[in-house]
Amino acid sequence: MQEREYDIVIIGSGAGGGAAAKELAPLCADGVKIAVLEMGAKLKEEEYTGREVEMSRRLYIDSGGTLTKDRAMTLAYGRAYGGSTVVYTGTSLTMPEEVVERWNVPGLEYEDLHRRSVKYLEENNVHLLPEDELNDNNRLFLKGCTKLGYHVEQFPINTKGCLSSSLCNLGCPNQAKQGTHRVQLPQAEAEGVEVITNCRVTRIEDRVCETVVTDPGFGEPSPWAPGEYRVKAKVVVVCAGGAVNSAALLLRSGFGERLPNLGRYITLHPALILVGEHDRPITNFYGHPKSYYCDEFWKSDAFLLETCMYFPFVTAKNLIGFGAEHSELMRAFPRLQMILVLALDPAIADNRVTVDSAGEPVVDYTLTEGVLDTLHASMLASTRVFFAAGAKRVHAPAATNFFIDAADAGRIDELIPRSNVLPGKISITSAHLMGGCRMGRDPGDSVTDGWGRVHGTPWLYVADSSLFPQCSEINPYVTVMGLADRVAEGIRTNAGELLA
Amino acid sequence: MKPMKSLSQEKAEFLRVLAGRIVPETANLDAAGMGRFFGLIDEALLERPPSVRRQFGTYLGLLRWAPLARFGSPFEKLSVERQDAVLRWFESCPVGLLRAGFWGLKVLIFMGYYGPSETNAVVGYAPERDGRAGLHAGA
Repeated sequence: MQEREYDIVIIGSGAGGGAAAKELAPLCADGVKIAVLEMGAKLKEEEYTGREVEMSRRLYIDSGGTLTKDRAMTLAYGRAYGGSTVVYTGTSLTMPEEVVERWNVPGLEYEDLHRRSVKYLEENNVHLLPEDELNDNNRLFLKGCTKLGYHVEQFPINTKGCLSSSLCNLGCPNQAKQGTHRVQLPQAEAEGVEVITNCRVTRIEDRVCETVVTDPGFGEPSPWAPGEYRVKAKVVVVCAGGAVNSAALLLRSGFGERLPNLGRYITLHPALILVGEHDRPITNFYGHPKSYYCDEFWKSDAFLLETCMYFPFVTAKNLIGFGAEHSELMRAFPRLQMILVLALDPAIADNRVTVDSAGEPVVDYTLTEGVLDTLHASMLASTRVFFAAGAKRVHAPAATNFFIDAADAGRIDELIPRSNVLPGKISITSAHLMGGCRMGRDPGDSVTDGWGRVHGTPWLYVADSSLFPQCSEINPYVTVMGLADRVAEGIRTNAGELLA
Repeated sequence: MKPMKSLSQEKAEFLRVLAGRIVPETANLDAAGMGRFFGLIDEALLERPPSVRRQFGTYLGLLRWAPLARFGSPFEKLSVERQDAVLRWFESCPVGLLRAGFWGLKVLIFMGYYGPSETNAVVGYAPERDGRAGLHAGA
């Protein structure tokens, strides 16, 4: 086993790890050695092919299909130089004040988090797309919601030089999305931070990270040869591997014994992908896929509606049923309008990350009756939006028939019964994984303090979405960056003491 | 058909029968298409832990032989109407794990068929690295 030594080791290079790396990078000028250990690869530009299965295997853990313990949901989260920021759509929202207040984390004030979040909006070139760059799929959502009187907002997005490929979730082939792989990591590297790709941390013990470097057969070679390494962090370890991996790593490393909340209070924003069919082709797979969201039901029914557009395989697996009807709908692909539902799920102690006997993460998450009610209500609302936008028929996963025709738009409540919302039958996914190392006051209610420092372990920090004590109620990456910014400031503030 | 590493020949043949009901177009795949179909499913199964592969194999066995009790024949001997009825029962069955198993089966078959870019044209999907012309084609 080979050995390496740094002052600061950051595990993960996504929104949290990338932001922390960039914020700590100026310390390199003072001789501080910093490494980022990333389990995924750094893809070469020509490897962003836009091919669905190929890119999913390269950029997502379990190809984007990690199953929850009960097999009722699949989880999609990235692994790459840039983490999940390589595969998100770049929608960039700051967290509402009332959600920060609901979090009720000692020392975490809305103004502070907002100020930091705004810094990343500027850094990542966040802006609104001009109207002539929006496609029909998005315009129809706006039309439908507006007709129904639902409140709609345009998503700010973080692109630069977008060529409307609509392939955001497969890694932008034009490198237009301003994730950490395009902004924060290159800047950190320019200042002296080392990023070690294809490097999986298996355990942390007393500031030593046990790691394995592999060759996945694609991407730039890792700076380190394949093999096992012990990486010593003389000062600080920052865990930023994402909600599942950070919690699992700390559990594997034995921290669960004195941190009873470690891994607990996972929230997922359970999601549905719904489709309506129009009687004419619409522009749907060219143009940015996610331009609008509807927060009409945010407070009343705990869900958001967003525009989305997915690829053939993902679309197929999100439809209910099989056979001729399923094939018929798939062949209508150029006429499909899509809506993504996000259920704003409660933080419950029993929804948690554990590890199996081999140390692999297990996400033990149960969809509550309340969340299933929410998903049902969201299906009704989405179906109304499709019809208001002019769809000739709608495929709602809990409907009694495969298609609901426009002529039956007045019978939606009857045709989509709550009793048909069956986990395991309906495809429920998540790409917003949060919690597991929640911030709070003390070990009795949390894993870290309000600055991401693990209770009772002054050399160990967390800087990713696992810090969220409850769900963010919005797309979370900007909030992750804002929190990582705080974590980095905390480390810098204590640098003298820590580095002494 | 090239042998799968993740499933026995017998199970792979049965998977082909199921695929014909779930995505009828799979019956028309040529040898190369069928190779891609089983190749992708094989790779996906091999990525999963051995326990998951075993569970999937067991689930295929259940689907094949469960109709014996109700109809007196294994799945592949039933009429297509009865085959579809069996599949619909599993899709909505009261036991959550059996529903999830059926969903997993569908996902693998959909991936095998809709995953390869060769199928894009069948559904009218034509991705472009530069989508601006397509975006404004109707303007």
